Amino acid sequence: MLSKDKMSYPKLTEPRTVRVKFRKVGNLQYISHLDLQRTISRVLVRAGIPMWYTQGFNPHAKIVFGLPLSVGAESECEYLDLRIDRDMSCEEIKQRLNSVLTDELCVLDAYVAPKTVFADIVWAEYDIRIRAEGLTEALADEMQTYLTTSPLMMDKKSKSGIRQVDITTLTRSLRATVVDGELRIAAVLCVSGADYLNPEYLIRALRERFGIMPEDDVVSEYSILRTRVYLADGETEFN
Amino acid sequence: MRTETENKSTALGSTLLKSVSKPGRYAGGEYGQTLKDKTAVKARFAFAFPDSYEIGMSNLGMRILYGALNREDDIWCERVFTPWEDMQDKMRAHDLPLCALESGDPIGEFDFLGFTLQYEMCYTNVLNMLALSHIPLRAEARGENDPIVIGGGPCAYNPEPVAPFFDLFNIGEGEEMLPEIVRLYIKMKDEGRYTRADFLHEAAATISGVYVPSLYEVTYNEDGTVKAYTPLYDDIPKTVQKRIVKDLDKAYFPDEVVMPYIETVQDRITVEVGRGCIRGCRFCQAGMVYRPVREKTPAVIDCQARALFDRTGYEEMSLSSLSISDYTRVDELTDMLLSWTNDHMVSLSLPSLRADSFTRELMEKVSSIRNSTITFAPEAGSQRLRDVINKNLYEEDLMRAVNVAFEAGKNQVKLYFMQGHPTETDEDLAEIPALAHRVVSAYYQNPNRGKGGRPPQVTISVSPFIPKPFTPFQWEAQDSLEEMRRKQAYVGECVTDRKVKYNHHDAETCRIEAVLARGDRRLADALELGCREGFKFDAWSEYFNYEKWMSVFERTGIDPAFYANRAWGLDEVLPWDIIDCGVTKAFLKRERAKAYEAATTPNCREGCSGCGANKLGGERACCPKTK
Repeated sequence: MLSKDKMSYPKLTEPRTVRVKFRKVGNLQYISHLDLQRTISRVLVRAGIPMWYTQGFNPHAKIVFGLPLSVGAESECEYLDLRIDRDMSCEEIKQRLNSVLTDELCVLDAYVAPKTVFADIVWAEYDIRIRAEGLTEALADEMQTYLTTSPLMMDKKSKSGIRQVDITTLTRSLRATVVDGELRIAAVLCVSGADYLNPEYLIRALRERFGIMPEDDVVSEYSILRTRVYLADGETEFN
Repeated sequence: MRTETENKSTALGSTLLKSVSKPGRYAGGEYGQTLKDKTAVKARFAFAFPDSYEIGMSNLGMRILYGALNREDDIWCERVFTPWEDMQDKMRAHDLPLCALESGDPIGEFDFLGFTLQYEMCYTNVLNMLALSHIPLRAEARGENDPIVIGGGPCAYNPEPVAPFFDLFNIGEGEEMLPEIVRLYIKMKDEGRYTRADFLHEAAATISGVYVPSLYEVTYNEDGTVKAYTPLYDDIPKTVQKRIVKDLDKAYFPDEVVMPYIETVQDRITVEVGRGCIRGCRFCQAGMVYRPVREKTPAVIDCQARALFDRTGYEEMSLSSLSISDYTRVDELTDMLLSWTNDHMVSLSLPSLRADSFTRELMEKVSSIRNSTITFAPEAGSQRLRDVINKNLYEEDLMRAVNVAFEAGKNQVKLYFMQGHPTETDEDLAEIPALAHRVVSAYYQNPNRGKGGRPPQVTISVSPFIPKPFTPFQWEAQDSLEEMRRKQAYVGECVTDRKVKYNHHDAETCRIEAVLARGDRRLADALELGCREGFKFDAWSEYFNYEKWMSVFERTGIDPAFYANRAWGLDEVLPWDIIDCGVTKAFLKRERAKAYEAATTPNCREGCSGCGANKLGGERACCPKTK
């Protein structure tokens, strides 16, 4: 089925927007948003997806990416919208894409896009894990208190320059625990526009306050995984 | 849900990867990479490109050899590149070894470490990578458990400056030879008779194209020139003949590409249309060492190109050849490709177009039509000097070509030249800017030039001549550093039109390149000292330091002028005489003599000039067959 030529599918009267939810984990966490965009455009070609092309002087496939994900962060809930001009089912699109992707970058779901747009996403849930020396439950409690007690002012970089921000105002919830000597932080952070809080700020805050994982430490490890994204109410999952 | 896809590399902690620039260089995990069960394979091969990931991943030879080795079930070939400086610093600070991208295993654990030597200025990276892998630099210091270190690629035609660091060299085309070498290793291990020394000896004696430098003793004359190469055993060849692939249609060509996630220098499909060049420019090493000229048939190329498109999704395709317009069936091939590339919005690019075969018809077929720049390489400004170098290009050809480009709407022309060719005078040099000025005039005189009224821009780019082994100019002296600089300044003074932009290549780098290109084994001491003093990325101007090179030469008793600035004797034993690249020394001498008479030689298709490479055979070669 997958080898069938995309041209053999019936033409749609109107282009259809398909929403693709995908995973970006493991080695793929080191690939920037720009590199991901270039990669995806080639993936769509080799998967034989019947893309709708813009009609201008320099035709190109229409792909809209969701939130950028920082280099060094993984995700189970990335989104992109693509526009097709032939009647290929969403299930087949998912299968075709996964046949030319690796487990570290693969499609979790594909469906006809509802009315929502990516700008509706305001909060994201993260699972942050730190493996380092001397992590205890008491320390985790202390860290949780530190990260959630306002004000916690940090220099935050943005397009308009560096400004001082109380990062607790961009944190909806945060819980720190220790499991098997590993620190786990479950946090819901703002991802909306200029208020986007990169989870690396939490790592930096802990590094500066508690001295864990000094910059050049190659023994300890940490990981950041985005697990869910929510609308402005912080409760309704985006889809 | 959390997937347990931890970074496979245990040696490189995630904290480390998160703290270096462009971590995608070290992550691996690309679509199209080959993963195997390391306990189930019999030989592991680390293919090393001694430069950054972005440069190395663009190399076609690496793609071919990676696939040629991995299609053998019991061989696993992985990739490794030179870590950028920030990563090297961290690896050294924490004593972390260099690892392969696919498995993340240290290179020191591999059976083979193969370096492709694409340019001389990468030699310091080779040593650097050996040091980062904790492998002894000198072949003689390696033990039974160290990888067999192999070198190949264009610089292996004079491997002598780096010979002490390699166990074995591949001379010539590797897609058949390299698997044969690994197969011999597996066989000897299976039969329980493997030792490092026995393997190297047997490879040298039984596999054509294999050169084991430790099996030859080199002696020198009192004046410093080479006296003789003496094989240590009777059963190894006195000279090592280059290996070629006889039939390119049947040669392995990958139908899959490891798809880099980060942007590389040549991020596109590359298909090979043939090897060798019919032209015989007298300074050009590639034009000599890749003979005999052999072609693939259009249907085979088209099929390989289509397979690669389907497997990669690349939007651009480049046809690789030393001179694409000399491909005998170029029209047929481009028509065949265009029959599907246009529909799939794949653009076609034809690099290395010659001005004399550049036609409107050909140009309209290629994507560069969207680009406003067209590039040609006249190599010399005056007709006399173009005859000396056997460029076989006339000014009328160039003017006709640029007019075709102007009429198609292009307004920028790039012209490549060299300075310091044998017999060159200042009058020849003054012709470089003069030619550029005439191209500017041609633009204004062309009534059919593209509309838009943008002024023309002609960029002249001038590189100093570097005498290369196996060329008719291999005996010639390079200009002294002072003379190279004087000529660079002189050409600049002759540019009088602001529409002509003048660039020149760094003279200091070219001088070191000349020393290494014609070097012998004694240079290894200087390279080793340079490695210990932190030399790296010498092909990158931000890392290259001429004074440091002079300093290591001085401290190791090397006179760079002996290698770069001396006119070598025609009867001298050359360090690369140990290699037989097909083209004979007698032919090179004839060509050199003709150069001094400014007499040209017809190209291979017009008539055979008896270079000798036809003794190697080859299907669809343009040579007369030998008996």
